Amino acid sequence: MTSGAARYFAMAQKELLELVRSFKLLWVPLVFVLLGIMQPVSMYYMPLILEKAGNMPVGSVIEIPMPLGAEVLAQTLQQFGTLGLLVLVLAGMGTVSAERNSGAAALILVKPVSSFSYIASKWTSLLLLAWGSLTAGYLSSWYYTSLLIGEVDASRVLGSLLVYGLWLSFALALTLLFSTLLRSPAAAAFSALGASAALSLLAGVFPKQAGWLPGSLSGFAYQIASSGSAGSDRFGWSLACTAAAIAGSLLLAGQSLKRSASVD
Amino acid sequence: MNENIDVTQLLPILAPIFLIQLVLMVFALVLCLKAERTRGPKWMWALIIIFVNLAGPIAFFLFGRRNDG
Repeated sequence: MTSGAARYFAMAQKELLELVRSFKLLWVPLVFVLLGIMQPVSMYYMPLILEKAGNMPVGSVIEIPMPLGAEVLAQTLQQFGTLGLLVLVLAGMGTVSAERNSGAAALILVKPVSSFSYIASKWTSLLLLAWGSLTAGYLSSWYYTSLLIGEVDASRVLGSLLVYGLWLSFALALTLLFSTLLRSPAAAAFSALGASAALSLLAGVFPKQAGWLPGSLSGFAYQIASSGSAGSDRFGWSLACTAAAIAGSLLLAGQSLKRSASVD
Repeated sequence: MNENIDVTQLLPILAPIFLIQLVLMVFALVLCLKAERTRGPKWMWALIIIFVNLAGPIAFFLFGRRNDG
């Protein structure tokens, strides 16, 4: 093992400890599990809720078709894409900028630790948080969906989970990049959320021209969950483009951190 | 199939939802009370955690605590 890798592992270990000590590893997955459970349960009780709470005239009959299990899972992913993404980005917004503002980053980086292994260790902990929460939430949603609404193929669940996880990883790479470039954590969260929302919007409005952008990944994940395949020849391009964008933003973050480790 | 649902049937389905919300609330409340300093008055956070469902504890975890990244 080279010394660079050894240092990276030491740093990553410290980041994981930080994740546990700030209790993020506990409450973020709990929120995802809650979001995941709520979707199938509220779809299951929708007729009952409308009947009790709505101001329906007496005798009116509402026929709401029970959705397919696969559609409920796609809706769960949409929940993760709004509330879940918000929670993840807000939890990750201070990863670099808070340590730079407090001077801790400068203290670490005077030691023989490269700025790239610093960024890589931060990235590892964010990835663990995102994938752990997404998996926990999605699996509990799957369990409830098959219990209440209908069975869904494991292959669809796995496929959409992987694609959606890549989308979340991309959003977190943006968060890390903006957290390095910008001084305030709030500005970093705002830019990362804005950029991912703009990309999704672009991919949604121009699916032909912008289908290869990372923003279309969430749409592909819904497609895989509800119909079993991404159904577009741009899917592969989109995967490759996202991987490249993640690598690019991490490199850029490391480069900019190398230039100025502390904020004066 | 939804016509005659009674409470005994609802309970096992809804129990995990209430349980998770309760765990988040109690956990946030304990951290809030044990914290040396919070961002803003402590009693305000306690009220928010107790009365704002789900978003209250999340807001405290994200914005209420000091000294962590």
